[in-house]
Amino acid sequence: MSRDILVIAEHWQGQVDGITYQLLTKGKQLADERGVGLSVLIVGNKLENAVEVLKDKGMDTLLVIDNPALEKAGAEVYATIIADTLRRTAPELVLIGYSLVGMELAPSIAGRLGATVMTNCVNVEILDGEFVVTRPLFDGTIHAKIALDQGVPAVVALQRGATPTEPLAAKAASVQSVAVDMQAIPVRSEVLELIEEPPSEVDIVKAELLVSIGRGIGDKEKITIIEDLAQALGGLMACSRPLVDLGFLPRERQVGASGKIVAPKVYIACGISGASQHLTGMSDAKMVIAINKDPNAPIYQVAHYGVVADLFGIVPALTEAAKNADSEAVS
Amino acid sequence: MKIAVLCKAVAGEVSEVKIVPGGKALQYQSQLLNINECDEYALEEALALKRAYGGEVTVLTMGSITTQNVLYLALAKGADKALRIDAQIQDSQAASIVLAAALRTLEFDLVLMGTQSRDTLSGLAGIATAERLGIPFAFAVTQVEMDGERSIKVRKELGGGRSADVKLPLPALLCVQTGIQPLTYVPPARMTRARQQPVRSRSLGDLGLTEDQIVPQGYRFLRVFPPERTGHVQFLEGSPQEVAATLLAKIKEVV
Repeated sequence: MSRDILVIAEHWQGQVDGITYQLLTKGKQLADERGVGLSVLIVGNKLENAVEVLKDKGMDTLLVIDNPALEKAGAEVYATIIADTLRRTAPELVLIGYSLVGMELAPSIAGRLGATVMTNCVNVEILDGEFVVTRPLFDGTIHAKIALDQGVPAVVALQRGATPTEPLAAKAASVQSVAVDMQAIPVRSEVLELIEEPPSEVDIVKAELLVSIGRGIGDKEKITIIEDLAQALGGLMACSRPLVDLGFLPRERQVGASGKIVAPKVYIACGISGASQHLTGMSDAKMVIAINKDPNAPIYQVAHYGVVADLFGIVPALTEAAKNADSEAVS
Repeated sequence: MKIAVLCKAVAGEVSEVKIVPGGKALQYQSQLLNINECDEYALEEALALKRAYGGEVTVLTMGSITTQNVLYLALAKGADKALRIDAQIQDSQAASIVLAAALRTLEFDLVLMGTQSRDTLSGLAGIATAERLGIPFAFAVTQVEMDGERSIKVRKELGGGRSADVKLPLPALLCVQTGIQPLTYVPPARMTRARQQPVRSRSLGDLGLTEDQIVPQGYRFLRVFPPERTGHVQFLEGSPQEVAATLLAKIKEVV
C-alpha cells in the first residue's frame, strides 16, 4: 500500500472548520506530486453531517471515528486515538491545522508516534523528493526552509490562511468507519463543558472595513483616535490580542487565531507588528493597509499599502480626509 | 500546591542568522535576553495560585549564565526558588527531554508555562514535556482553580470564541494564554534584592543526560531568509495629509 498524505479534519461539534479545506487543497497538491492517495481522518461524535459534507470533496479515503464517548473526551484521548489510527494507516505525511486545537494535538500525536513534528508552517512542498516546510522564527522576522528526513512519519501543522484554499474536483471518497475500543484508552482529563460565546452586539466578522489597533497605541486613552477613524470610514474598530490582554478592549474586537477570523474588504492595521497569530486572522482581507513605524514589521508581508510612520500623525489626517470627503459628498 | 514555572529567556532582536554546518541548528547575534512574554503570564498565574491556595513556586530556565536575569525577575515577583539548567538548546523536542529530566528532580503538583516562545514560535515544548512526563495537559488556558484535593478545573480556548472547561488530575502541565493575569511591575530595588538570592544550576550531566541525547532529530535547515512579502506592499510617502488623501482614494475604490 502506498503511503498516503493524510489530513486531520478540524470541526466544532460536527461542523467542519474552514481550515480543513485549506489542508485538503495542500494535501491534494502533495499527493498528486507524490503519486499517492489523499486521506482525511475525522474524529468526534455525531459526525453524520460532517461526513456528508466532506465525502465528495476530493479525497480518496475518508476515515471516520464517530463515537458517543468522544463528546466530552479530552485532548489526550483524541491524541491516543489519532496516533493509533496513524500507526495502522502509516501515512507518509500528516497535515493538521495550526489552530488552538491543532496546537494542542500535534505535539501529543507526534510524541506518541515518534514522528517529526513541524508547527506554525506557512508552506510545505516537495523539493528533490523531500518534504520541505517553511516556517517563521524570531517573532516572524526570519523564515526558514526545513527538510524533513525521509522514512520517518511527519506531522506538519499549517497556519490558517498561509496557503490557498481551492475547491477540489468532486470525487466520491471511500468512507471507512474505524472502530475504537474506548474502554482500552486511559482517560485522565474530563471535559466538563463546551462553551460558545454568545453572538456579540459588535460583529467585526461582518464588517466591510476594519480599523485595527495593536500595541503601538500605547495608552488606552488614545484609542479614541482609532474609533474616530473607524466611524469616519463607516467601519468598525478591531484589535490584536495584546490589547485584550491589557484590558484596553473587549474580546469581541479581537482578530487572530484566538479571536475572530475576518476577511473584510479593507483592513487598516495601525501599530500592529503582525505576529503569525494575528496574520492568521486577517490575511484574507481584500486590501490591507499597514501603518507601523518599523519597516521590517511582519504585517508588511501581507499588506498592500504600507505607511512607515507614526500612527498618531497619519490616523487623524485620514479621519479628517474621510470626514471632508463625506461633507463634500453631502453638500 | 507546589508549582514549577518554565520561563524561557529569549532574544529581543536577532541579526546575522546563519545555519550551522550540518543543518541542525542556527547561529545568530542577539541583543538582550528577556523573559518570553507568554511565560511571564505563566509566572503571574503561578504566583496568583500561590496567593489563593498557598504553596511554593519554583521557576526554571534553560541557558547560559546570561539567562539568569529571568530567574531574578521571577524571584523579585515572588517566586520562592530558582533553578537554571545549564544547557543551550534550540530544538523544542530536545528541550522537552531536558525539561522533563529537570522536572523529575523536583516535587511538583502543577507545571505552568506559556503557549509559545518568540524565537522558535513552535508552541511544542510544553505538551512534548507533558508527554515525556506522562502527565495530563491543557493548552491555551485562561482560568485555573482547584477542584477538590488532587485535581484542578481549567478553562482553555479553542479559538473563534469557543472554549472548554476541563477537569485534570494533578500533577498536570498547563500552557497558559497571555492575559490570564495582569503583568506586575517590579521596582528596581526589589530586583536588586532578588539578585542576592541563590540560584541553583544543573548541568546535563547532573540530570543524567548526554549531549547525543539532545541532538535534533528528523530534520535539517536548508535556508534562512527574510520573509517574502505576499501582498507586494507599496510604501506611501509624503506628508500625513498627502498619504491620507492617497489612502482614502484606495479605500474608496473597494468600499
